[in-house]
Amino acid sequence: MDAKKILVAVDGSENARRSINYVADIIKDCRRFEITLLSIEHLPDRDFFADDAAWKKACAENRDAMLAFLADGKQLLAEQGVSEKLIHTDYIESCHSPMPGEKGYCSRGTSIALDILHAAKDGGFGTVVIGRRGVSKAEEFMFGSVSNKIIHSGRDCTIWVVQ
Amino acid sequence: MSESVRQILDRFYPDAYVGRHGKVYTDTSDFMRITGGDVIVLDGQHYLVLRDEMERSYGIEDPKYWVKRCRHLESGERRILKLVFHEEFSLQMGEIAVPCYRSPRKEARILDLVRGDFRFMQGVSAADDAGNNVRILDVVKGRRLDNWIHELEVDHKTYFFEYLPGILKKFIVSCQGIAYLHAHGEKHGDIRRDHLWVAYDRDDYVWIDFDYTFNFHENPFGLDIFGIGGLLLYIVGKGFYSQEDIVRPGDNGRDAPSIVPGDFLLVFKNRLANLKKIFPYIPDELNQVLMHFSSSTRVYYETMDEFLGDLRPCLEQMG
Repeated sequence: MDAKKILVAVDGSENARRSINYVADIIKDCRRFEITLLSIEHLPDRDFFADDAAWKKACAENRDAMLAFLADGKQLLAEQGVSEKLIHTDYIESCHSPMPGEKGYCSRGTSIALDILHAAKDGGFGTVVIGRRGVSKAEEFMFGSVSNKIIHSGRDCTIWVVQ
Repeated sequence: MSESVRQILDRFYPDAYVGRHGKVYTDTSDFMRITGGDVIVLDGQHYLVLRDEMERSYGIEDPKYWVKRCRHLESGERRILKLVFHEEFSLQMGEIAVPCYRSPRKEARILDLVRGDFRFMQGVSAADDAGNNVRILDVVKGRRLDNWIHELEVDHKTYFFEYLPGILKKFIVSCQGIAYLHAHGEKHGDIRRDHLWVAYDRDDYVWIDFDYTFNFHENPFGLDIFGIGGLLLYIVGKGFYSQEDIVRPGDNGRDAPSIVPGDFLLVFKNRLANLKKIFPYIPDELNQVLMHFSSSTRVYYETMDEFLGDLRPCLEQMG
């Protein structure tokens, strides 16, 4: 694992933007760091929609928003002085996406945390950065927590949790 | 020209007294207008509407206009028709608001998945002329498990040793049913006390009402598992116990046990999870399962397999 290869997991939230800013702050003067902004596709639940047409539309909007967020994040890092050559983006599609995409690893939708850790291991990232919402214990019990699961399940990498 | 309600009833149900001869509906979109004495036709089958289903809560009856109690005229049997009602709402769980949605197609999918499985209510779905996904349900002949338990006229100790082992055995079978749903990527969505019934004819427990859904991406079955924990707490305790129930000294004049905030449920903070403090004969292992739902727990159940892995030995221990 290469500690200078940093994987920043983002979900389009303000917490994710803070994580990008933090990473930019830390490494802007260090030339040898390589950053990948990663987003795992999280489809809106199909059952929340009256019909498939409405669901597909929401899926497409969701994907467009996340790809735009990744592009913004890349620009933000570049503006902070990180070399553009060293900034990458990665979007892991859902296995259940209605939109045709690239073949390869896809998210089954059961754990974003485990998808992030898979990407970290697969890409040889030594540092994983994740934002944290700061949920209550009860909310964590009910909804789960991506950051906590990464902390508990992460192996062979350093984890930065940005709050 | 299509048949009138009177003609349909003359054909199928000539001797019945029907107070109102309403309209024949093949499109159920406007479900508020459909009422007793109307006939709904689906897939060529005729359903005489008897009345709207009622939701009973805290002694108040609230009509569920999208759920119709019916008689299937071809067979003469009772059926429940759930018409399409896309409702998005916030389910309040203690201090947490959970966004939920009522999904007809989710319930229809689960009805297909559990066909013939005694652990679940049975039924089929059919599209009306407007494409609405109507669920046609068999009536569960039985009563709510919690009411049945509540009305057992025995003290807790007698209940615990004489009734609970049998109840727990069947409850575990019901939990395996939920695990089966999860294994197929489905969730019940609304596990609560009034959705597990005891069938009169078989004495088995039957889950009803699967149309709620929620979307937790990191803990997809969290709400179901929380609901299961609440049900187990009720079953083991023969009811729920609040702070007020505990501060009263016991029958034998002993002091009330020392209770701390960590003894209560994590989500519903007025329900005692640490039942061993008031019923000391509850084995540690069973109490520990309950404590996984308390505010002092550090480890949560994320899967039904984890939960059942802890609960099954408790039943064996109780003999």
